[in-house]
Amino acid sequence: MKIFTNIKLAATIAFTHMRARLKQTVIATAGVTFGITVFIFMVSFIQGSNDFVQAVAFEQSPHLRLYNEIQTASSNVLDRAQPGTINMVSHVKPKDILLSLKDGPQIVQALQQDPRVAAVSGSVSSQVFYRLGSSSINGTINGIRFEQENALFNLQAKLVDGSFRELSTLPNSIVVGVGLAKRLNVKTGDHLEVTTEKGNNFSVKVVGIFKTGLTDIDKQQSYASLNTVQRFLEVPVSYITDIKIKLHDMELAPAMSKELQAKYSFHGSDWKQDNSALLEGDALRKMIVYGVAVTILLVAGFGIFNILTMMIYEKMKDIAILKAMGFSDADIRWIFLIQALIIGITGALMGLVFGFLAAYGISKMPYKSDVMITLDHLPVSFSAVYYVTGFTFGILTTTLAGYLPSRKAAGVDPITILRG
Amino acid sequence: MNLIEVRNINKYFYQPTKMQVLTDVSLDIEKGHFVSITGKSGSGKSTLLYLLSTMDTASEGSIRINGEEMQGKRNRWLADFRNHHIGFVFQFHYLLPEFSVLRNVMLPALKLARYAPEEIEHRAMDLLKLLGVDVQASKRASLLSGGQQQRVAIARALINEPLIIMGDEPTGNLDSQNAAIVFDLFRQLSSERGQTILTVTHDDDFAQRSDKVIHLVDGKIAN
Repeated sequence: MKIFTNIKLAATIAFTHMRARLKQTVIATAGVTFGITVFIFMVSFIQGSNDFVQAVAFEQSPHLRLYNEIQTASSNVLDRAQPGTINMVSHVKPKDILLSLKDGPQIVQALQQDPRVAAVSGSVSSQVFYRLGSSSINGTINGIRFEQENALFNLQAKLVDGSFRELSTLPNSIVVGVGLAKRLNVKTGDHLEVTTEKGNNFSVKVVGIFKTGLTDIDKQQSYASLNTVQRFLEVPVSYITDIKIKLHDMELAPAMSKELQAKYSFHGSDWKQDNSALLEGDALRKMIVYGVAVTILLVAGFGIFNILTMMIYEKMKDIAILKAMGFSDADIRWIFLIQALIIGITGALMGLVFGFLAAYGISKMPYKSDVMITLDHLPVSFSAVYYVTGFTFGILTTTLAGYLPSRKAAGVDPITILRG
Repeated sequence: MNLIEVRNINKYFYQPTKMQVLTDVSLDIEKGHFVSITGKSGSGKSTLLYLLSTMDTASEGSIRINGEEMQGKRNRWLADFRNHHIGFVFQFHYLLPEFSVLRNVMLPALKLARYAPEEIEHRAMDLLKLLGVDVQASKRASLLSGGQQQRVAIARALINEPLIIMGDEPTGNLDSQNAAIVFDLFRQLSSERGQTILTVTHDDDFAQRSDKVIHLVDGKIAN
């Protein structure tokens, strides 16, 4: 109880000191407020953009993907025929392997039973040429079962014209990306030619146009039904080249990728691998935000440090007299520490409010982008974590900035001052 | 009864070179006496006062106040002891300039927290009345004249009903009229309230009229 009344008394003295130096106190508080405001504003905005870009990218990339890849043979035929001797074979050609996944349709069915899996889609993808008149554009055609693929990528929402439904009812029909349609100058209902790697030509009808927002995909990709693409490639109905999986918990993807690769001996990749550059960029941007915020808070901290240090020089006599009255070193330390804490807490709280208002303000700002079609306002994140972090940051800096001068005040020798 | 017992105090200064300020000082001060410490500048009289005030602890020998040994005690304990038992009056008034007169007087009592704040305020007003500065109670301390400030400082020294009031040239910075008022106050406190008073002074007249004079010459008591 004694400690409590001591601190309360120290607080009333601190308040009197601050009232007497209202202008300096307000400026110091404003410094902290500004630091926290900028931190909250920047981190909300950057995190919002990160989240948005991630959402767009991840919508186009499955959590988990199984496929086959052309590989260099790990051993040559001579080594296998004559082990133990030194064999030289130069320029070994890549192994001729089928890109199809063995037992693909059965595996798709098995994965559908897996409780971790939210949706799974088997598809065929192949390089093709799209031709119309004299123009010939290289791209990818995806043979899909619409229901399965839609469950993974929400294709329906990306359709800007026509319909996906006709893919399964109308043979030789495709849905093309908006960029591709523009380059070929086709619209829904038009015909164009598709040439496969083997040189076969097919006339197809455009039944729809989609836009994902990712230029790379929109410029060269098209969808057709699984059967259509299998027929183009002259392969059996069991031929699929990709199994794409959506999980209930996307964090499980890397572990599950390893498990499935071992089980089926396919290649696999997960969203973390596929988007490593994007994720790395996010981490770097966040580091920059923290860097800027820490710098601003350090400057604010120096402000508090200066003001308190100056005040202590001014108040040497007061400190000496308080000590003579019977205030202990700890009481004196509290007087100055409390001033720093009041500046810190007030500044940090005001910073949170202003930061929120600024973030809310720009989240209402209309923003149109050709690339990001689903965006109509600036993306802003309102995650509580950043408010907690910002507040903690503010308090820590100001406490530290106040602690050093307050220790100095506590160490003042009253005799040297009272003797004059 | 001896309130203060000092035995064989030796005190050194180390800056700029080692120098002995007090040599083998022993003295007793009785309760209720009005004692003056005199001597030339540099004779060690202030040093002795600050040793007795418990704010300076670096010395050899024994200092007992009210039966308690001061040597080897911790800062917090000594601060608490000062708060309870010692009131100070300095040459340069030393009120806290941002606080009101009343608040200045109340501070040591608020720290002591023996009484509720309302009771403390009441007592502080009584003391200000006793010293004739109650009209100034709500003014800021820095707005008072020197004589008034010194009277407020005395009220502050008295608020916790201390065993001893220590003064470091309490009249040194006052004109003769105010000095006389302050001296009379000390005299009155000593004789009417039985208050022990210990002051360092240059003023021979002041010293002559106290109960006992401790005269220091080159760090030794000369009687």
